[in-house]
Amino acid sequence: MRPKVKPGKESGLFEFRECRKLLKATGKKARNLAELMELIRTASDASIYHHTQEYFFKGHIVEYTNDFAQWVASVLEARVLSENLSSIDPFRQSSAEALRSDFANSISAYLEKFGAPGNVLPGEEFYFQESVTIVFPAGFRALNLAEFLMAMRFVDSQSIYYHFYEGRRRLEGVDDFSKWVEATLGHRDLALRIRAIDPFMHSIEGVREHIVSFVEDALREEIEVGGI
Amino acid sequence: MISQYRGIAPKGQLELLKILGEKFMGRSILNVNSTRAGGGVAELLHRIMPILASMGMDAHWEVIEADDRFFDITKKIHNALQGNKEDFNDGMWDHHFEINRQNAEKLDLAADFVFIHDPQPAPLIKFRKRGHWIWRCHIDMSTPQQDVAGRIMDYARLYEAAVFSVAKFAMLLPIPEFIVLPSIDPLSDKNRELAPAEIEETAQKFDLPPDRPMILQVSRFDRFKDPVGVIRAYRIVKKYNDCILVLAGSPARDDPEGEAVLAEVQNFADGDPDIRILLLPPFSDKEINALQRLATVVFQKSLREGFGLTVSEAMWKGKPVIGGAVGGIPHQIVHGVNGFLVYSEEGGAFRARQYLNNDEMLKRMGEAAREHIRNNFLITRQIGDYLSICLGAESGGKTVMEIG
Repeated sequence: MRPKVKPGKESGLFEFRECRKLLKATGKKARNLAELMELIRTASDASIYHHTQEYFFKGHIVEYTNDFAQWVASVLEARVLSENLSSIDPFRQSSAEALRSDFANSISAYLEKFGAPGNVLPGEEFYFQESVTIVFPAGFRALNLAEFLMAMRFVDSQSIYYHFYEGRRRLEGVDDFSKWVEATLGHRDLALRIRAIDPFMHSIEGVREHIVSFVEDALREEIEVGGI
Repeated sequence: MISQYRGIAPKGQLELLKILGEKFMGRSILNVNSTRAGGGVAELLHRIMPILASMGMDAHWEVIEADDRFFDITKKIHNALQGNKEDFNDGMWDHHFEINRQNAEKLDLAADFVFIHDPQPAPLIKFRKRGHWIWRCHIDMSTPQQDVAGRIMDYARLYEAAVFSVAKFAMLLPIPEFIVLPSIDPLSDKNRELAPAEIEETAQKFDLPPDRPMILQVSRFDRFKDPVGVIRAYRIVKKYNDCILVLAGSPARDDPEGEAVLAEVQNFADGDPDIRILLLPPFSDKEINALQRLATVVFQKSLREGFGLTVSEAMWKGKPVIGGAVGGIPHQIVHGVNGFLVYSEEGGAFRARQYLNNDEMLKRMGEAAREHIRNNFLITRQIGDYLSICLGAESGGKTVMEIG
């Protein structure tokens, strides 16, 4: 029978949590590039994070890596700019302010070089949004690496998002998984491998596959007998 | 009742409902709208109310009573908010308010959370007794007739928050505005799993050949759904691939153009025996379910659309839909991942041919379609959103809420 433990730091238990995003309209919308740039400059931090980091919450990264680039490509059809905007890594920037500058400066440079495309049709504007985050237990917990592996296989993708992507905002650039693996299990090598997964280059399911694979490797090493 | 969704909805959505259910146990929640039958709002409330009650909430649904004049006025309000020109005078607004005042006297409006649906009962906010009042607007307010929008906004701004279906439907209000996307119920007759015999029964009823690929569009016979465009796309496909086309819809009694469009479509089909135009009686949910499961390729080639939940319905059955890039369809279809967005008949035909010639792609995108709906468009997510709004109202508008 499973030992009775209390969740929390003392027990060493990893309690999977997950998040839902409740969307909020801000009432602000951009009809053209100049308006997009101005609104990015004045948008709330929550709105900047929503359209960049939280883009990964959708779980289906196709061609572009944030809502701004997606709109610029699909509605304005300004491919050069959408590539520029797509290359801005929201996980490398330390603050919303820095991110805001990166996006606004990129648009400004494009406007200087290529001029402004006209207004989009009504209904195709860029709508600035924010989100409210609801965090709650995902219904899985792990006491050791083997349990962690099983949970990683079955937990909802929103839980992986919460710990791997959103954890970086809480823990100054470090995800929850590698922190637990290192601090609680003392598995530094595994922690470093997980930490080396580039959040910008993967969808949530891609992150899951990598972590599962790394944990399997670590577990195999633990249980393998013989030195060959 | 939530347990019925186990193994169907994502585990996290059910965990959240369990936690919110415990949190709101015994608390009262009231929904008010203007009709108990007909229309998407009533359909939604019929599904949601028993679930809220099963979670231990004291859930009530009230419907305002009104005369024909009131409904004539509110129909005009609805049209004007969607951008059509309508004339109003003060007497009409007075009547709108007066009917609400009379209802406020009769209805028990005391509840912890009160959701008022659409403009018809919006003035009830003037008679608020207690609790958190939220205005749920289901209609597209993006390009409203300004004077009418102003009148409704005067009521809306008195609420604690407003909820819209899509960001672009929202109006600029000085209160928090949430976006709650619509959803489908995977346990309803329209979406539940069907036994092979039930599917076969529908195929036989409509004499559909089991061994030929089938292109399907389910929609009212309405020009904005572009049934003639679908026939044109089918004719292009037919030059390369064997297939039949099924256009299935119910007659809409509130749509005077429906019969004319149906005649137009029948005329355009020109007696092609491989085009089946099925006029289904209202509430043919099981038949529509079976048709969507029988289809190889599903179109929703709308030229204008509200949200277009038939897209989610087909995607839930593992069909990667070919949809017009209008209204709520781009919220449901991720182009190239779980379906295709198209802008022309030729585009629609090309994508249909891709599906018909590539079983692996059809299967892969179909699986992605079902998973996308599972994560984002099931009723469990929508109930979670509503209760999260209640939670937010009680927390004083926090941006991160940790529970459980």
